[in-house]
Amino acid sequence: MAKQNVTISGSGKIGGGDYGNVRISGAGRVDGDITAEEIRISGSGRVMGSAKAREITVSGSGRFTGDVVADSFQGSGACAVEGNMKAGEFRCSGSQRIGGGLTAHYVRCSGTLAVGRNVETDVFTSSGKFNIEGLLSADRVEIRLVGDSQVREIGGEKIEVRGESGFNVQLSLTRGFRMGFGGGSLRAKTIEGDELYLESTRAEVVRGVNVRIGPGCRIDRVEYSETLEVHEDAEVKEQVKS
Amino acid sequence: MPNELVSKKEVLQLTGISYGQLYRWKRKGLIPEAWFVHRSTVTGQETFFPKEKILTRISQIQSMKEQKSLDEMVQLLSPEASTAGSTWEPHVTLKAVGREAQQLLWKESGYTFAELVALAAGSEAIRAGGSRSTAQLLVDILRSKEEYLRDPAGAAAVLAEKKLDREGVSVCVPFVVLAREPVTIDGESRAIHRVDLERLVERVKLSLGEVQ
Repeated sequence: MAKQNVTISGSGKIGGGDYGNVRISGAGRVDGDITAEEIRISGSGRVMGSAKAREITVSGSGRFTGDVVADSFQGSGACAVEGNMKAGEFRCSGSQRIGGGLTAHYVRCSGTLAVGRNVETDVFTSSGKFNIEGLLSADRVEIRLVGDSQVREIGGEKIEVRGESGFNVQLSLTRGFRMGFGGGSLRAKTIEGDELYLESTRAEVVRGVNVRIGPGCRIDRVEYSETLEVHEDAEVKEQVKS
Repeated sequence: MPNELVSKKEVLQLTGISYGQLYRWKRKGLIPEAWFVHRSTVTGQETFFPKEKILTRISQIQSMKEQKSLDEMVQLLSPEASTAGSTWEPHVTLKAVGREAQQLLWKESGYTFAELVALAAGSEAIRAGGSRSTAQLLVDILRSKEEYLRDPAGAAAVLAEKKLDREGVSVCVPFVVLAREPVTIDGESRAIHRVDLERLVERVKLSLGEVQ
């Protein structure tokens, strides 16, 4: 039997269950856990439970009170997940809040991302702002700093953090016209990896094999096993080769 | 010393693995979260591991990684972390946990890891002289509480019985407590059989590795 497709375009409420394509373009609410092929929220949607789908897109305002599982998740509006998020590909260009942890193969963030626990992924790229309260673990971490980001710990193979260079001007519809010097910064307690390049980063401990500390960094202690380079505009209080 | 700790840096030096590998294996569940011990030291926050466990696990991974994919290794080494849906056939199951299991939960196919552990506990209780119906209590509670199996550190299941003597009628009521140590039961009850979940999970994993 073909699964039922549902569209809520005014204001409506459906029960949880197994669906085909679910579209919410007005104000909609799902009461209970939902499984679907595709969930698209472009108005305001609330799922009072967990959601599982091949593809989930939130471009309006979305809220999930449980866990979310998707092969592909795309958030370009404001989305809050109170449980854990598990996705193959996770893209966020709006504002995304996850109360639990985020597990994915690929994470791309160009908006703002707040995660209450750990982020575990193969690849993490960000050109937005993030606040991760746990560990960010990935094979490859590529961060272009915009605004002030925070993470408790980063661990992985190749970690690259670049600050915005010099003078920057931003024009966006929602945030208006902004300009300023220096761009973003990153704060972390520890950063560990094999190949590290950091800019504009404030960290307590950095441990790695080949470590390059770029401009704008303030690091309390660097422990490295092969090579260390420190830029003249960086401050490293203590460096240890082991 | 069985409880000796080793720092992350020492682990990398001793085994020759990279930070990337260590974090990847942790993400995949090959190295359990519970083994990561965060401690403050003079040089800041550091991570330590139970030395024996981590070194054994890494050498297991290193010896297997040429022939097996990450996911296959997870199945073998940390079945509790493997993706939902991994199941084991009855003949494998019975070999791994013991023949007694057949009386406790019979399925035509596809035992989950939680069921395997539950059955191992039940079989053990029967071999220790418990009756089938009390062992069944253990099986039922363990297979319904998967979160304890995913993080078995310090968890124990105690099979106990309480004797009630009222007006000349005496009955013996068996019950099971599943909790994190220290598990205490009231003085009028008697613990019959105690299951250390962490040890049990390890044992089931080992015997699964042997029969597969």
